[in-house]
Amino acid sequence: MRVLEGIDVAAMKRLHPDRRAPLWWGVLGLITIESAVVLAFCVSYLYLAAHAEVWPPTGEAPPLLWPSVNLVLLLLSSVSMFLAGQGINRGNKKQLAIGVTISVVLASIVLVLRSLELMAYDFGWQEHAYGSIVWTISGFHYIHVTSMVLGSTVIAILAWRGYFTRERQIGVVVDTNYWYFVCIAWVPFYLLLYWGPRIHAG
Amino acid sequence: MTRQHTNLQHKVHDSPEETKLLAETWYSPRGFPGWFTQVNQRMIGRRFIITGFIFFLLAGILGLLIRTQLAGPEQEFLGPELYNQFFTMHGTVMMFFFAIPVMEGFAIYVVPLMVGTRDMAFPRLNAFGYYIYLIGGIVLFGSLLIGMAPDAGWFNYVPLAGKEYSPDYGVDIWTTMITFIEVSALTAAVELIVTILRLRAPGMTLNRMPLFVWAALVMSFMIVFAMPAVIVSSTLLILDRLVDTQFFLVDSGGQPLLWQHLFWYFGHPEVYIILIPALGMISTIIITFTGRPIFGYTALVLSVVSIGLVSFGLWVHHMFTTGLPQLGMSFFTAASVTIAIPSGVQIFCWIASLWGAKIRFATPMLWVLGFFAIFVIGGLTGVMVASIPFDTQVHDTFFLVAHFHYVLIGGAVFPLIGALYYWWPKFTGRLMSEKAGKWSFWLAFIGFNVTFFPMHQMGLEGMPRRVYTYTAEMGWGDLNLLSTLGSFVLAAGFGVTLINAIWSLYRGQPAGANPWNAPTLEWATESPPPSYNFRHIPMVESRWPLWDWQRSGERSVVTGLSHWRREVVLTSVLDATPIGVQILPKPTIWPFTSAVAASSGFIGIIFHPIFFVMGFFLVFFTLVAWFWPRRPWKEDE
Ligand code: HEM
Ligand SMILES: [Cu+2]
Repeated sequence: MRVLEGIDVAAMKRLHPDRRAPLWWGVLGLITIESAVVLAFCVSYLYLAAHAEVWPPTGEAPPLLWPSVNLVLLLLSSVSMFLAGQGINRGNKKQLAIGVTISVVLASIVLVLRSLELMAYDFGWQEHAYGSIVWTISGFHYIHVTSMVLGSTVIAILAWRGYFTRERQIGVVVDTNYWYFVCIAWVPFYLLLYWGPRIHAG
Repeated sequence: MTRQHTNLQHKVHDSPEETKLLAETWYSPRGFPGWFTQVNQRMIGRRFIITGFIFFLLAGILGLLIRTQLAGPEQEFLGPELYNQFFTMHGTVMMFFFAIPVMEGFAIYVVPLMVGTRDMAFPRLNAFGYYIYLIGGIVLFGSLLIGMAPDAGWFNYVPLAGKEYSPDYGVDIWTTMITFIEVSALTAAVELIVTILRLRAPGMTLNRMPLFVWAALVMSFMIVFAMPAVIVSSTLLILDRLVDTQFFLVDSGGQPLLWQHLFWYFGHPEVYIILIPALGMISTIIITFTGRPIFGYTALVLSVVSIGLVSFGLWVHHMFTTGLPQLGMSFFTAASVTIAIPSGVQIFCWIASLWGAKIRFATPMLWVLGFFAIFVIGGLTGVMVASIPFDTQVHDTFFLVAHFHYVLIGGAVFPLIGALYYWWPKFTGRLMSEKAGKWSFWLAFIGFNVTFFPMHQMGLEGMPRRVYTYTAEMGWGDLNLLSTLGSFVLAAGFGVTLINAIWSLYRGQPAGANPWNAPTLEWATESPPPSYNFRHIPMVESRWPLWDWQRSGERSVVTGLSHWRREVVLTSVLDATPIGVQILPKPTIWPFTSAVAASSGFIGIIFHPIFFVMGFFLVFFTLVAWFWPRRPWKEDE
């Protein structure tokens, strides 16, 4: 059999900051899986609510203020993350480092606020199914914010050390995409946990 | 690729030095320490397959012990506690630790070869998934050895599985091992999807993808969308058991049926996660042994995709006896019957392909024909239990046990053994004995029917499943004895294949690159494939590349990949035009350490929640070490 040269790929790029990179697809896969988990949690919440006589058992919906502040902070952190990504797309290492750092700080504030809010709850997860699902969803999201803060801290360190360049930035792309996901995942949880009981009652 | 390249082509010259360099670049370290660092897809795939079959053997032995216990009325061989543990372990291990991983293992081994690349998209993740699976399996079987195995059935219903009725560690171990399998299956699924979509050989458009690759793709997507439901349900149950949440406790507003919904939303597709790769194996074998293109390629692809989709709408048929609203139930009956349509399309395309063909009745083909016979019966009883009045009658009887073994063994295990005979020469370089293969098939086929056909009758006579014995007056003794005898014949059948496999490693006839004259790319390289899979990444112009090349006497390949670095070609999703080159990682210990870190967390939480925090941080640190850029950075430009 004659073996012929079909294409020569020697000159093709080895580093891909965009959707050509398998890792970009990998994180998309992770986000898909996690979105399905988010959905399953929401469905479980609705299932329990639909079968309850009073929901929440005390008849009172949880306070709105701090969760709304958190929502704003998370969305803001997504914006700074976005700007960080834009920076490195133009090869601006400084903008990347600052942007990621700001996002990490914003999300850390969210963690502090969330901790205070959860500690102030007057029901535990052992009391009733409502308490269980609220605490579980809150914990689930809390852990995700923690992971993204930790992961992005590593990215920030590398960014300050000047590791990332316009070509070599797949790590940043992956991290920002995951960041958007965790922030956006808060939206359905926020609506369900804080607005749900209000609309339900009203 | 299209014609444009064929005009000015040069012949490719392989210098032996370059080949040697390439082999070293892709070399997997051997020996004991090496084992923990291997990442090559063929190594990982082979481990999944071997480990999967070991679990098949162990769970099969449990099946035989169950059958021995049931051979006559009022036997005391096992006793109720052990019996509960045995059927739970048998079902759980077969479904989670044998069927899914073994199918993934075949996909991990075969798919990259079939699409003509050198490894998978995330080799380290692949290794990580395997270690997680292995550790989970060892823990699960360990629990049986110390008499603490789960005993609430393979679908682990609450309230039986709640703390009140199952206070021991058994159910904790069950929920934990589910977590292991989720993680390992999801990593394999993402891995396969990205590999299939991005690493296909240039010219292998979606429309030319081998049917087994299609099946692996659909299986992976199903895992991605089904597993999350069981992640949530097992999390809720773990929390109920460990930190006293109230999800499934009625008194405080919990809902036991939530468990059933979440579990079966996953559990029904899970059956198809096992079945669909088997369908791909059948098509592959039929193509090769009829020696001509398959009839209805597009119809086969579409029907596999629609089986995948429809199977997500069927879960409630496992809950017909739970008293759900009438209208909902009718919907799910209709949906359950609908699945017969794409399954029918598969069967008709295969029949059309076999019709008038010169079929070579080699062993793989025999197992496929056995599949036809068994699966049709399983399908018929399936349509029967999709009808609510009938299901209400036979629910929780041996009729169901007969039905799902016809579907699972007929639909998955028979094609799987066929595929094992088919790809064995590729895996090992040697053919298994055809004579022993035929013995094995006939023993298994007869043994299978003798074991499971009488169970239909036992079920109709009212014999419940999951009950460790029965009294003589019930009159079920003769059929049970027959069934038990059959199960030993069945086991002997599989045993012959095991011996055949081991024997062939030493005495089997050397296979050569393409012993069956098959048309797909895995047969375009040596058997077993060298460390780099293909000396050159091949280029493809139709669905049957090897047959084309035989006709034309020439083929085109990709050149320009590095010899001293692990590189593969990236292609576009739809039409597989080359768009870049990807550098893949070398062997490394970090996936193993991450897996150990994650396992310590998972297992630890059974005893104390603090292990969750510990596991979390350990995993974080190992992941940082895993992904930390290696100097010199310049190297990857
Ligand atoms: C080696 C041959 C096999 C034999 C002799 C066997 C035998 C049995 C028997 C007698 C039961 C019923 C126990 C009872 O309800 O009291 C059972 C249950 C079951 N088997 Fe098998 N089986 C075999 C292979 C398989 C395979 C290959 C699979 C799946 C891939 C499988 C999956 C199951 C499941 C899911 C259950 C239900 C367990 C439960 O009720 O929780 N079996 N098997
Ligand atoms: Cu089903």
